[in-house]
Amino acid sequence: MTAVGRALLALAVVAAPAFAQDPRLAARLDKPTLIAVNAIVDSARVAKLPTSPLVDKALEGAAKGSDGQKIVVAVHQLSLRLGSARHVLGAGASIDEIKSAAGALDAGVTPHDLARIRAATGKRAVTMPLAVLTDLIERGVPIATATSTVIQLERSGVKDQELAMFQRNVRADIDRGADPGVAATTRARGLVLRSGGAPDKPAQ
Amino acid sequence: MIVARVVRGDVEAFAALVERYRDRYARYAFHMLGNRQDAEEALQDAFTRAYRSLARCEDPERFGAWLFRILVNRCRTLGARRGRRSRTFVVDETALLEASEEHPADRAAWREEIDRALQQLRAEQREAFLLKYVEEIGYDEMSQMTGVGVSALKMRVLRACERLRELLSEVHSA
Amino acid sequence: MRDENELPLREIARELREPVPVSESFDARVMRAVRALPRHRFGFWLRLTAPRTITIKPLTWGVLAASLIVFAAAGVPRAFGALHRATRPIATALFPSSAKAPVKSQRVQFVLVAPDAKKVAVVGDFNGWDAQHAEYQAKHRGGGVWSVTAPVPLGHHRYSFVVDDSVWVADPTAPRVVDNDFGTPNSAIVVEELK
Repeated sequence: MTAVGRALLALAVVAAPAFAQDPRLAARLDKPTLIAVNAIVDSARVAKLPTSPLVDKALEGAAKGSDGQKIVVAVHQLSLRLGSARHVLGAGASIDEIKSAAGALDAGVTPHDLARIRAATGKRAVTMPLAVLTDLIERGVPIATATSTVIQLERSGVKDQELAMFQRNVRADIDRGADPGVAATTRARGLVLRSGGAPDKPAQ
Repeated sequence: MIVARVVRGDVEAFAALVERYRDRYARYAFHMLGNRQDAEEALQDAFTRAYRSLARCEDPERFGAWLFRILVNRCRTLGARRGRRSRTFVVDETALLEASEEHPADRAAWREEIDRALQQLRAEQREAFLLKYVEEIGYDEMSQMTGVGVSALKMRVLRACERLRELLSEVHSA
Repeated sequence: MRDENELPLREIARELREPVPVSESFDARVMRAVRALPRHRFGFWLRLTAPRTITIKPLTWGVLAASLIVFAAAGVPRAFGALHRATRPIATALFPSSAKAPVKSQRVQFVLVAPDAKKVAVVGDFNGWDAQHAEYQAKHRGGGVWSVTAPVPLGHHRYSFVVDDSVWVADPTAPRVVDNDFGTPNSAIVVEELK
């Protein structure tokens, strides 16, 4: 450890923490990793970003036996995604929305598309649309297709409950062997028609 | 590790914690309460309470400190309940009679005198003295444990020291 | 002057610091009392204390290498799983389904078939990836089938099964998420509110 590192370590041991630290981290991380992670968590807290995903990420790394360096990098990357999410969604975004958006960014959705989804949902929360979007991508729907599908649904005023039904149907279709992209667009078209909106042209 | 095992339902693992901490904390209980029987009762009580609320122990690595806090409280409750009567120190008369300079019983006698003097202190002074000088706990931690302010604790320790010196210098000069 | 007063105190303290042995039957008496306490109380307390603070020092540190992380397709013999969702929302004491509840969740059933397993737990970002979390310990239902129904907050989550505290098994029927951070795959689940 460098001299600076040792100094930081000594300071951390002696000084009382500025905020209440999550005791699970202390139980599972070695000292240098703990200090670094707590620093990131504290900064996030000061920036009014959600901290529980950061703690969860560190706990995940610890549970998987990852080395400290990887954990710190992962937590740091996540904090950047959270910051980016909040930047796109705006200061009024809720904790759940920011978490959901960070998950979407992680799945490969671009900040630009995130902004489009924000615009499409209007006053409604983006939490559920983004969760569904992330899930679609994870089930094999191409990112562009999934994004445009969700935007289309939101623009036609589909509610969260209907969105949940949509996700379940797409999942069932994929489980039965349907092509993920086709399943998503087909189900979306049906939903938009039922909710009274005009369906977009298939290839967006 | 052991704490986690116990929380998961491994009752027998608790025996390892009992073994680890009992002698150290028996010392405090004994000097605080003045007799072995009360000390063991307080200690047993502390262990069972610790076991029962183990899930509430915030930091399993500081189980010892957490257990000790419970013990300090148990000693207070037990001491208050029993009253002055049972805090009288029981002196081993035979050992005193056989005491001489070379005889190891001399040391035992000296220790008995100390304990007897301790029992003559007020409970709060005795507690503060033991925590500070025997258990070597800092004033801040002591304040957290007892809920008493640091300056009040310092005063108690000071009074305890003065009184002990008084009582024990009489023995010395005798 | 100071020495004269200090010396007796130091002696006194030194004497008092001698360990005081307890009677021989002490340990036995404590364990008898402790064994008499109802064991289920831990489950009760653990449900009330959240977030989880008691964790084991990760056995996985150093012991768990990438090679131990097993896909359901290989390694763990005859292990396959199915993910079902409860057909009705079941309100638990911690997660009432009223709109005013701060944390909404659904009870989700996790199922894994692992006949050689001695212990199966569900870990995820909803329980701090804690393989010892009492609420997420699967019970063996017979025939190698392990299952547990536990609350998962609404939204998108990552999770995995941990078998025998050492082998990570992804849920084969759930979407697998490549973990860019730690190189091990997770399963993903979206929990929606059921009405």
